[in-house]
Amino acid sequence: MTELETQSKIPLKPFYTSGDVADLDNGAALNDPGAFPYTRGRRSDPARRDSWIQRELSGEGPPSRSNAQFRYLIETGAVGLDVIGDAPTTACLDPDHPYALNAVGTQGVSLSRLDDFFELYDGIPLDRITLSHSLPGWFAVAGLYAVAKARGVSPAVLRGSVIQTPLYCEDYGYRTHMPVSLRLRLTLDSIAFCTREMPKFHSFVEDTYYISDGGPDAVEEMALGFIEIRAVVRELLKRGLDIDSFAPRIAILLNCRMDFFEEIAKIRATRRLFARMMRDEFGAKDPRSWSVNITAHTAGSSLTAQQPVNNVIRGAIQALALALAGVQAVEISAFDEAYRTPSPESHLVALRTQQVVQYESNAGQVADPLGGSYYVEHLTGEIERRIGEMTDRIEALGGPLDLCERGWFRSLFEEAMVRQERAIQDGTLPRVGVNMFRMAEEHDTLLKELAATKIEPCWDHVERIKEFKGSRDQTGVAAALQGVLGAAKAEREDLMRPIIAAMEAGATLGEISGALRMAYGSAYDPFGVAAAAL
Amino acid sequence: MEPVRALIAILGLDQHETGALAVARILRDAGVEVIYLGRFNLPERIATTAVDEDVDVVGVSCHSWEYIYHIDELLRRLAEEPTHVPVVVGGSVITESDRQALIRKGVAAVFGPGAQAAEIVGTVRHLADLRRATRTI
Repeated sequence: MTELETQSKIPLKPFYTSGDVADLDNGAALNDPGAFPYTRGRRSDPARRDSWIQRELSGEGPPSRSNAQFRYLIETGAVGLDVIGDAPTTACLDPDHPYALNAVGTQGVSLSRLDDFFELYDGIPLDRITLSHSLPGWFAVAGLYAVAKARGVSPAVLRGSVIQTPLYCEDYGYRTHMPVSLRLRLTLDSIAFCTREMPKFHSFVEDTYYISDGGPDAVEEMALGFIEIRAVVRELLKRGLDIDSFAPRIAILLNCRMDFFEEIAKIRATRRLFARMMRDEFGAKDPRSWSVNITAHTAGSSLTAQQPVNNVIRGAIQALALALAGVQAVEISAFDEAYRTPSPESHLVALRTQQVVQYESNAGQVADPLGGSYYVEHLTGEIERRIGEMTDRIEALGGPLDLCERGWFRSLFEEAMVRQERAIQDGTLPRVGVNMFRMAEEHDTLLKELAATKIEPCWDHVERIKEFKGSRDQTGVAAALQGVLGAAKAEREDLMRPIIAAMEAGATLGEISGALRMAYGSAYDPFGVAAAAL
Repeated sequence: MEPVRALIAILGLDQHETGALAVARILRDAGVEVIYLGRFNLPERIATTAVDEDVDVVGVSCHSWEYIYHIDELLRRLAEEPTHVPVVVGGSVITESDRQALIRKGVAAVFGPGAQAAEIVGTVRHLADLRRATRTI
């Protein structure tokens, strides 16, 4: 790199002075930690040793195997769980779908029916562990709610979260083959449902991690995130919900790449932008609505298939950045990320990394230890300005649903993905072991075999699902699916109740999604191969 | 001479698209005509499109292990056609032993993580030349 700049191309000077941070003493921009605009953090007292929730992404095989992973993670010291669905689950397809067969349980857990949720949470104290879900939000809320009810746990005590991905999932990684209007409605209905029934649960996690990993830079990531948050908030307000009834439960799950100070500045800028937006634009009165919860995953795309041991080091540096930025929860993408969902060995390394950063480094003892740094404050202001400008620019182009349907976001993602690959190819984005300090294949052995160990698709689980489908009360299932279809066709009806009823009747994710697609004029099965169950 | 034509596709439910898009762009920049089939394909669709579009090379981008279970069918379907379209496989999940296994099955070339643009373009051109030479005989 000849010119000094950050990863998102913000020009840098060799050093910074007081002249670069003219408004440093201006309370409007900075203030203390725990005070508006929360640039310096949500709280003034992070010194408590359990200041962030340590968790690691898990999910593999049939639900019973994920349940065993949960137990292992809790034993190892995790205080929260994050479960990711496999490719069929995230695509809203059943395991017995012809496209799904070879992807069942390999990149996450297979969840397609209520019984799967019972198996997944078996023996897990739902009232004490926070449960995060990286799978279709409405489906996770319905499953968790129904299990809690059946086990006699009040849904009101449930803590945890679901990601909501209405605008971008078709374009970047979580494709469900549902139209954007349906995706948005499922998002709004599940948030409204949780606001009523599961008030401690974060039903609206804006996931900017998945939309930025491998493509968009820090500024684009947050601009797109704010576009989606604003779209959802506006719709919820239109429905008559009070901003302070749901805003305190909005969280942002963001990406932490390798550009150390840029990522820290991005998090600080995000808190400030969010606080001002909530108070000044949406009129929130409750301070909890102003100070957004931030959780972070370290960037999977910063990890390499080559020399996987280097990924352990990357995870530690990114975790330190997050400790300094001050976040509410951390997940380190594990060293085998380029190959698979985490193995027990890589889970252990990731959790130990968090524990070493949290307990040994003392880095997170004082809130916002970088506050007041000429460089960090300058960069925070600069990133804030750029995120705000890009958000305004996109909103000026048209409504987000319209932009989505016109493929505008898709083009942005495509450009960003190609740009990042090119930067790695031409060396402008340094990657040790990839575009510098490469190693001959035969010498690159450390942790390699472990990282590349494959998981076989769970064909026996596919058989279980087939048997299950054959043994259900088909009339009850069909009737419940008609209930979903009817509610979805009526514009103002809530979808969560009929969805939960359908799951209780034995309907599956693929079938419910098919009914929803039909109501919106799409094909029951996006690939035209599965027969409609109603 | 007619420009080289390549089909780029992703198998099964693999949602990762960065590699496929990047390779498509690299090939287009090098003057190759790319038919971008994108995500969510079973072998049948890839083989049919390859024949219909008369491509010189089929490129499959793999960021999940689904390719392991689909590749035999894809190779078989293409072998049944008179057009002899070679298959190239690339992706971050492919290890050295995976590469050897794919070559044994009849995949024409395999690119693991860190493959260079020039290497990919050179291989695609070379395979296209070979196929065209065989066809004219």
